[in-house]
Amino acid sequence: MFLALSLLALTPSALPPFELKDDDRVVWIGNTLVEREQKYGFWETALLSKFAKQNVTVRNLGWSGDTVFGDARAGFDSPKQGYERLVSLALESKPTVIFVSYGTNESFEGPAGVAKFQKGLEKLLDALAPSKARVVLFSPLPFEKAKSLPDPTERNKVLQLYAQAVREVADSRGHRYADLFNLALAHETTEAGSHFTDNGMHLTEAGYEATIPNFMTSLGLSWAGEDPKKFDAARATIRRKNQLFFYRWRPQNETYLLGFRKHEQGKNAKEIVQFDPLVDHAEQELRAILTK
Amino acid sequence: MRILSSFSLLLLLPAVGLAQANAIVPDPDPEIERKSFIVAPGFEVSLFAADPLLAKPLQINFDPAGRLWVSSSEVYPQIKPGDKANDKILILEDTDGDGKADKTTIFADGLLIPTGVEPGDGGAYVANSTELVHLSASKPGQKADRTRVLLSGFGTEDTHHIVHTFRWGPDQSLYFNQSIYIHSHLETPHGVKRLNGGGVWRFRPETTELEVFVRGFVNTWGHHFDKYGQSFMTDGAYGEGVNHGVPGAYYVTAVGATRLLNGMNPGSPKHCGLEVLSGRHLPDDWQGNVITHDFRGHRVCRFVLRDAASSYESREMTEVIKTNHPAFRPIDVKMGPDGAIYVADWYNPIIQHGEVDFRDPRRDHTHGRIWRITAKDRPLVAKPKLVDASVAELLEQLKAPEGWTREKAKRVLKERGKDAVLPELAKWVAALPPDAEHARLEAAWVRQSFADVDMDTLSPLLAAKEPHVRAAAVRMLSDSFMGLNKPGEWTKALQDEHPQVRMEAVRAVAAWKTPEALELALGVLKLPMDPVLDYALWLTVRDLEPYWLTAFKDGTLSLGGDARAIAFALNAVGTKDVAQPLLKLAKDANIPAERRKALWLMLAKVGGPNEVGDILGNGFTGADGPTKLELLQNLEANVRRPSFGKAPALDTKTLTELSQENDTPQAQAALRLLGLLKQDAARATLEQQAVADKRPAADRAAALEGLVHLGGPKSRQFFDLQAAKEQPILTRRLAVQALTMLDLTAAAATAGDVLSASDAKDDLGGFFDSFLLRKGGPAALAKGLTGKTIPADVAKVGLRAIRSSSQNVPDLVAALTKAGNLAAAKKEPTADEVKAYVADVLKTGDATRGEAVFRRKEMQCLACHGIAGVGGQVGPDMTSIGASAQPDYLVESLLIPNKAIKEGYHAIEVNTLSGKVVSGIKLRETKTELALRNAEDKEVSISTDDIDTKKQTRSLMPDGLVDTLTRQELVDLVRFLSELGKVGPYAPNPARLVRRWQYLDPTGPATNVFRRERVTAAVEKPSQFTWVSAYTRVSGDLPTADVPSFVVWNGSDPLTVVRFELKASVEGAAALKWNSVEGLSVYVGEKSVEAKPETAIDVKTGTTVITVVVDRSKRKSELRCELVDVPNSPARVAVVGGK
Repeated sequence: MFLALSLLALTPSALPPFELKDDDRVVWIGNTLVEREQKYGFWETALLSKFAKQNVTVRNLGWSGDTVFGDARAGFDSPKQGYERLVSLALESKPTVIFVSYGTNESFEGPAGVAKFQKGLEKLLDALAPSKARVVLFSPLPFEKAKSLPDPTERNKVLQLYAQAVREVADSRGHRYADLFNLALAHETTEAGSHFTDNGMHLTEAGYEATIPNFMTSLGLSWAGEDPKKFDAARATIRRKNQLFFYRWRPQNETYLLGFRKHEQGKNAKEIVQFDPLVDHAEQELRAILTK
Repeated sequence: MRILSSFSLLLLLPAVGLAQANAIVPDPDPEIERKSFIVAPGFEVSLFAADPLLAKPLQINFDPAGRLWVSSSEVYPQIKPGDKANDKILILEDTDGDGKADKTTIFADGLLIPTGVEPGDGGAYVANSTELVHLSASKPGQKADRTRVLLSGFGTEDTHHIVHTFRWGPDQSLYFNQSIYIHSHLETPHGVKRLNGGGVWRFRPETTELEVFVRGFVNTWGHHFDKYGQSFMTDGAYGEGVNHGVPGAYYVTAVGATRLLNGMNPGSPKHCGLEVLSGRHLPDDWQGNVITHDFRGHRVCRFVLRDAASSYESREMTEVIKTNHPAFRPIDVKMGPDGAIYVADWYNPIIQHGEVDFRDPRRDHTHGRIWRITAKDRPLVAKPKLVDASVAELLEQLKAPEGWTREKAKRVLKERGKDAVLPELAKWVAALPPDAEHARLEAAWVRQSFADVDMDTLSPLLAAKEPHVRAAAVRMLSDSFMGLNKPGEWTKALQDEHPQVRMEAVRAVAAWKTPEALELALGVLKLPMDPVLDYALWLTVRDLEPYWLTAFKDGTLSLGGDARAIAFALNAVGTKDVAQPLLKLAKDANIPAERRKALWLMLAKVGGPNEVGDILGNGFTGADGPTKLELLQNLEANVRRPSFGKAPALDTKTLTELSQENDTPQAQAALRLLGLLKQDAARATLEQQAVADKRPAADRAAALEGLVHLGGPKSRQFFDLQAAKEQPILTRRLAVQALTMLDLTAAAATAGDVLSASDAKDDLGGFFDSFLLRKGGPAALAKGLTGKTIPADVAKVGLRAIRSSSQNVPDLVAALTKAGNLAAAKKEPTADEVKAYVADVLKTGDATRGEAVFRRKEMQCLACHGIAGVGGQVGPDMTSIGASAQPDYLVESLLIPNKAIKEGYHAIEVNTLSGKVVSGIKLRETKTELALRNAEDKEVSISTDDIDTKKQTRSLMPDGLVDTLTRQELVDLVRFLSELGKVGPYAPNPARLVRRWQYLDPTGPATNVFRRERVTAAVEKPSQFTWVSAYTRVSGDLPTADVPSFVVWNGSDPLTVVRFELKASVEGAAALKWNSVEGLSVYVGEKSVEAKPETAIDVKTGTTVITVVVDRSKRKSELRCELVDVPNSPARVAVVGGK
């Protein structure tokens, strides 16, 4: 039902469709929206299903609560070091494509914070520029309107300013702008009382599935007539790959393994790199499933 | 292998410790474990469930149906590459009511170290690493197949720190905790909530409303509410026992805190899990008690809480369970539906994964137990019917004496929904008799769970006879999840006769973000204050700062000219921009002198270049000696801040006069300040004092430092002149020492020659420190020593200085060793050597002899490590070290202090912009200040704008401390340490023993005073004597041989004067129980009291000093004194411990 209704509102934009090439390495940075996608894998599966013949890797570096300033990645260090960690992690993955998804958390500073956000986004993109990757800038999602949730009208007015700020940066730098704001908004106004979210803000598992068309359309790709069930096996492998990669780049006990207590348990850090072949292996399986 | 049955328990733990190499673990038979329990009289322990029904329980919580939910992790401490995370949520059921679980359901699996579980809303709330999730089953009774992520972004920096201790509050908010290393960034529709470090969260799942309830702690692995909703917490890595949770308060380690709220049992071992007891199954004297676990020492502990002013007094009783079974690890505790106490036993010989390897083969991954503690000969409580009850029946259950029943009834009511409950609730409340205050409070909480409390509900509670009911109602007034805003009610509550109501009101009023709120809050100062109330007020003043400070600065907020209130407010926020309004008040003759003194002291701390002249003039006028010193110290710290700015030319009369004093800290501070304030007119004075060979070195060094700060070519010329060969060696040394601040290379170039000409008997510590504590200093000195020869003993003094500086400077060590022609340092012991030591510890180690080694003055152990809350605080408290650490770890820690460091005891090394190197353990860190505790156990504060770099460094414990011990002495010392905390003579003792005494140092001048006056001068004018701390043995006895005696006149009997302190939050009668009063004269304050085996005393609120004059000719036995209660006395007294 979500699917049918969604499609009414969705028309691909005028830009040529987004394309993945052989040996592309996609790095995805952002906040909870990105972090939880790695858990469910609906959007990643849909995207890769369109490029089944190409040899593509996806590395999801989303972090809840994150901003273009790297706020959530500071750990024991300063936010500045958190930001540097965000940039260096993204660059270390040698991306050819970078998906950037920010704006939601920054928007709590209201209209007054737009300029600061825009500046921060520009700075982040400058720092990522040495990768020479194709950059896609995603708008934030609007808050959902539903009977059980507080009225998001005012919140969404602010969010729209941030979406606009992302679009301006994309236009001025010649990057692709992927509009989730208007596409998703179009959806919820046609179907009051729908449930993409539990709290108005974060997509649920079903929410990610239902918004596959929105995500694909934002990249100029079509999802018409597709049945997500067809890709269940691929998605299961993607989720497994993402989980292994999560253990790799955000291991528990970082304090002891890599942090200031590594003189005590740092010897166990050797286990962390043992995830690399496991991630690779999962990816080979995925390729086999997609090309079957 | 049945070690347990064939060996005495006391010998068992070392045997397991030996197993580092060959991994011997105890026999896992639960019955063997149970039989090892020593249980409180009148109670018994039975097995409710054991492996394979469950493994590795982390948290337990009952649901309203009486089923026990268990979060369990076999993956802990770390997922292995290639393994699937398959941790579980289990449900244990006792379907036939025989006190044993007979059914286990795997509710969820595939989880990664789920550290918390709380059933509710048709499933369970579960901590799943970075997430808080709600799991539920689409088919009742089946495995969970639905996962809703409610919050994500929790840090996982340490897997015993990740979110834990889930608990429904009385308001049906979900409370949960995170530990010290965790950094969480949680997106909610109301904004991103961030918490760096420890704290307790309060969360409303249905709206994703989230707030920090309290901040800080290391591992708050226990939290429960008493029947009035007051919070109590324990910490598994910080030994202050039970903590009273004050909303918004900062506890130990809280990031950004300048003032902390302390626990109620300082010096106690660390605890895990907490439950407030209630119900008909338990005896009357257990009602309202707290159970928490000393999981290191294998003890289930009971504490009695009693009201004490706005807070509580917490007193430890005899253990509920104690044992030396090495795998008994009680970590959670809950009351059950039958009124019994249920204890989750993690069952593991190994705890911790910081100091002990992740993959240590002794780590247990498969066992776990739930124990059930019941009172013998007391009937159990019939399990209440809740799940299928009607709303009316559920409401009736809110009157139950069992907290369990009331808590679960509120949970069921919440899940029934507002529409079903509120109409019935109104009827039920209307029918309550007027004195049913507690039932009304329960009803109000039910309404609060629906965010629907109105004044009709609260008014009768605010007027209740029971003060704790009034306190709970006041807290509801400010619930940020409901948005009530009732200043009128606060006004009344702030003047309430009960201090706890005032305390809650002070916190509540912080929600009213206006300058008026500050005025209201400060009004409580007119009524009696107590430490927790004072703390609450401090918090509120700071919370409200954005709404009043500007008004105070521009004069629109006068606070009625009340100096005490102003001083309190400004002290709390401590900011410099208030200097001008403060100056105006300090000069205001209408304000009493005593209050103005406080204002000048504050100004000395926060004033700028424009105020310093007034401070040196008016501020010092009429001030006494101690006040002058405090003014100077405040001013010096203030002026040293890089942001202080440049002072104008001042009238230096005050400083010049003070600088003439001989060998006083005042004179030294004045000399330094003359330079720091750049008073060039004082150059001549400083040069004169710097070379005055009649003055002590400390004064001359201060004058030289003054010249350093004055700076310029003139200072440089002066130093070159004084460092030259023809000068006396002391002058040269002082000059070089000062020169390090101006020109390190030049100073180092001369340093080798100066050291060659020095003698180890000279005081060289300061000389070496001047290089060691300076950025680049050690390298420069090493270079300066190249090709030089210095006396061997001088080189040794240098090496000792390096050790106490906690720095890693191998180049300087090598240079000193070479220049002094010393042998190279000892190598680290090999694994085999450590093993041999451990074998000897078990075979020949003697704890009694070991304690004597530990207590030796020259060993300095007690200078840094406390036991039972007395002694130094630089290193970890040793109270239960033997119960938590294996002997191999103890041997290694003594021989290689830097190998494994306890969490919270990593030193930080700070390089300041002014070129200094400071190291110590972090005490507090705020935006403006970093406070460290240095190796001398002194607090050092560094202004954050002076910090250049900051890094983790080595242990503060110097290497080579035990080098002077014989092998047997070291073996004895380890044996002693390994017994600490175990059942036996070195177990923690809850008695309120005097453990820190202070003796009067019988110097010549002291005995002169006694000749001139009389011995009671020690109680009449205690401040003219020097008092030195002396600590009792672990047993609580102070050997008289450890304290010096003196004779006043030749031929008179030898005497010793000792004293200790008591601290009372509520005054009244108490008693001192002595082992013997032979030869003792006892004074309470200045008053002599008759010494009896139980000496009755009257204690006033605050600190009381008890002084004892010991006639050594009559007294042969050791000193032992215990503070005991007097029946029916309201007094709340504790013995003061510490350094």
